[in-house]
Amino acid sequence: MYDEQRLIELRGVSKSFGDTQVLHNIDLYIRKREFVTLLGPSGCGKTTMLRIIGGFEMPTEGSVLFEDKDITDVPPYRRRVNTVFQKYALFSHLNVFDNIAFGLKLRKLPKAEIKERVDRMLRLVKMEGYEKRSVESLSGGQQQRIAIARALVNEPEVLLLDEPLGALDLKLRQEMQLELKSMQQELGITFLYVTHDQEEALTMSDTIVVMKGGRIQQIGDPKRIYDEPKNAFVADFIGQSNLLTGVMLADELVMMAGKEFPCVDEGFEKNEVVDVVVRPEDIMVVGTDVGMLEGVVESVLFKGVHYEMMVATGETRWKVHSTTMQPVGSRVGLSIVPFNIHIMRREAVAIPAEGGGQV
Amino acid sequence: MKRRWFATPYALWMLIFTIVPLLFVVYFAFTTRDGAFTVENFGKFFRPGNLPVVFDSFRLAFFCTAICLLLGYPAAYFLASRDFSRGRAIVVLILLPMWMNFLLRTYAMMTLLERNGVINTLLEALGLPPQSLIGTEGAVLLGMVYNYLPFMILPIYTVLKKMDHRVIEAAEDLGAPPMKVFSRVVIPLSVPGVVSGITMVFMPAVTTFAISRMLGSGMIYLIGDTIEDYFINFSNRNVGSALSLVLMVLIVISIGLLRKADPKGEGGALW
Amino acid sequence: MVTSVARRAPRRRAHRLKLTYIIVLLVFLYLPILVMIGLSFNASESRAQWTGFTLDWYGRLFNDSRIMSALQVTISVAVMATVISTVIGTLAAIGMHSMKQGWSNLLTNVAYLPMTTPDIVTGVSLMLMFVFVQWPLSKWTMLCAHVAFDTPYVLFSVLPRLRQMNPNLYEAALDLGCKPTRALFKVILPEIMPGVITGSLLAFTMSLDDFVISYFTSNTDQNLSMIVYSAAKLGVEPTMYALSTLMFLVILALLLIINRRSKLEEI
Repeated sequence: MYDEQRLIELRGVSKSFGDTQVLHNIDLYIRKREFVTLLGPSGCGKTTMLRIIGGFEMPTEGSVLFEDKDITDVPPYRRRVNTVFQKYALFSHLNVFDNIAFGLKLRKLPKAEIKERVDRMLRLVKMEGYEKRSVESLSGGQQQRIAIARALVNEPEVLLLDEPLGALDLKLRQEMQLELKSMQQELGITFLYVTHDQEEALTMSDTIVVMKGGRIQQIGDPKRIYDEPKNAFVADFIGQSNLLTGVMLADELVMMAGKEFPCVDEGFEKNEVVDVVVRPEDIMVVGTDVGMLEGVVESVLFKGVHYEMMVATGETRWKVHSTTMQPVGSRVGLSIVPFNIHIMRREAVAIPAEGGGQV
Repeated sequence: MKRRWFATPYALWMLIFTIVPLLFVVYFAFTTRDGAFTVENFGKFFRPGNLPVVFDSFRLAFFCTAICLLLGYPAAYFLASRDFSRGRAIVVLILLPMWMNFLLRTYAMMTLLERNGVINTLLEALGLPPQSLIGTEGAVLLGMVYNYLPFMILPIYTVLKKMDHRVIEAAEDLGAPPMKVFSRVVIPLSVPGVVSGITMVFMPAVTTFAISRMLGSGMIYLIGDTIEDYFINFSNRNVGSALSLVLMVLIVISIGLLRKADPKGEGGALW
Repeated sequence: MVTSVARRAPRRRAHRLKLTYIIVLLVFLYLPILVMIGLSFNASESRAQWTGFTLDWYGRLFNDSRIMSALQVTISVAVMATVISTVIGTLAAIGMHSMKQGWSNLLTNVAYLPMTTPDIVTGVSLMLMFVFVQWPLSKWTMLCAHVAFDTPYVLFSVLPRLRQMNPNLYEAALDLGCKPTRALFKVILPEIMPGVITGSLLAFTMSLDDFVISYFTSNTDQNLSMIVYSAAKLGVEPTMYALSTLMFLVILALLLIINRRSKLEEI
């Protein structure tokens, strides 16, 4: 049962380097024209997964399918996939034009066509007029653009990007994020993007694959991942969160920080111990008389659009974002609506066997 | 005392024992025995009888460099490849001989090639006729290659080892099969190492005199031998100086041309 | 998996080919030397018949007054050249480090001169000068020449150390009340010491090893290389095997020490 939409599929892929296993039985598919991000801390196996799709590594077990054909042992130069490498990996012995034309020249395209396509790419990445420059004379951001152009000019089915913005400063990175996203939409190419930056992942992706320790933790669109993290790791990695231990007293009632809170989750055992996530922006600062909790402001940091406060209520300390400032030492009330309390089972979340669950 | 003056003894020493002597070469090259200015010395050297010597020296040095490159490049490439990541000991072993006294190495070669040497004695034991190995151009060439091969391997190995592996992956990614990766990426990027290897082999090869003396047993006569004779045996220092000067200029020109291929000097010399 | 095994098999074969090539090269590079070392213990003068183990040639070596005096010349020149070049090379590195860019570039290029000039021209040029000023060519003129080609090795071993050094270190010492001279010895010298030692070992090796320049700059005193050369002109002789073997081993030992100190690629 081949799904037309499935461009690339990993089936039961495991990878070990010597004694260390970096990928555990990965099942995943990527749809056409999708912007998929592999997100996770360093060492989670996301780059290895990308390299397996690129053809630079062989999986120890499992197979890689491209349009339902097994390409596991097809070498990189015969895959219709191109890569934008970490730190760009431009050819220092070639100028900008020849770097971009590298793949086209290998395909022995006519000169005029090569020139036309390179020119189009240079326009796309806003680097017209740089043809004759040596790549070493370019800034990091410019090198990045050339690396993207060099890969895109071959019109690959899939573009793999391995932390492509990691070496750029914040402002440039944000600019490039938007540009990459719009290029992807314009060209209709599938992007597989690797990053450890959750903000980047949330901004750009159609689908995020959160990974940890060589296993997929959760697959979903950014909003789903953000709002409904499947486990404590995802919740913690995706955003700054308050992570608490709670006990389900009944359906839609959880006990945490010594108080009972109404919530929206059902189907837990009575008195089951659970992880509870509450995002800082979901905690409202109210008067002490109306708050569900009462606490003391321990610290205040100005963060530009909001204040970040640490509020202690008994044993528990809450990270709270608020647009109004409360002085340190003042007593405040805190309030959380049921919808914003995210309850998660404690045991490791099982990944659905068919993998690649879409939202 | 300012610290920059610390360099004074060194500067003086280099001035007196490196720069001034080179000026003496220029001075002697343009003077007669009595100290009068002349250009005769150059003419004396470029007699028809001497020209083959220059030609032979450059020809042998060229062949030596070419053979070293052909043998050394694959060696450097293999050593730098990831399969040999734990083969540092092998690398050290290959490169160690370049720091060994070349006379000893040439002497060892003599032992093998001599008329009564190891190879001929073995041939005899097998009932084969002895070969005249020593005293041939082949013997001198073999001696040169034997001596200078590590000097070719080291700089190429260094450049290849420093090469970013992702650049090679990038080429594969863009559709280059292994041979194309090699010809379009690896070779161009290793040019600095090749240039410096060529320099480090060609220069000593074209100026050698001991190797040709020992393995050529007087039959092979190179520029180095001529200079040695002018200074040690004939004692005509003026012609000898002229010849040294010509040799140096030729070398500077060839290195200069080579350096054009490596404008950034990434290959480095020994350092 | 079948596929991955299938793809790995040719790689292993390629690896074996590479290894074979490297081993053939190693044999080419080491066989002559090993044969020579073996023959230095051979009782007969024959090059291909092993007639028993002997240390006779070594014995003769140590009874040969010419060789013994050459040994003395070699070692004394190497030791003196090493001491002098280490001192002036280290001082020069410190001086150049606190110099304006232009001057220090000039002095660096001067240091490249002995490395880029063919040895024979260096030797001949020094000979011309010594003869012109009527210095008799002896181990003293040889020493001057050795210092000239040794010092750059010290300089280039120390300079990178100075560049790596935190520039605030020296200023911090001054700030803490250290006098400049004292700061030099207490702060800078310990920092650059590894470079100084590597440089001096290199200089010592180069000096022990030199033939061409010594050959032209000394007449009355011969070093071991010169003995080997003049003996080689007369043909091969087992005493020379013994001498070569010993020189080979000493230089090998020195190189291994240097290599341990600094990776060979950096030299």
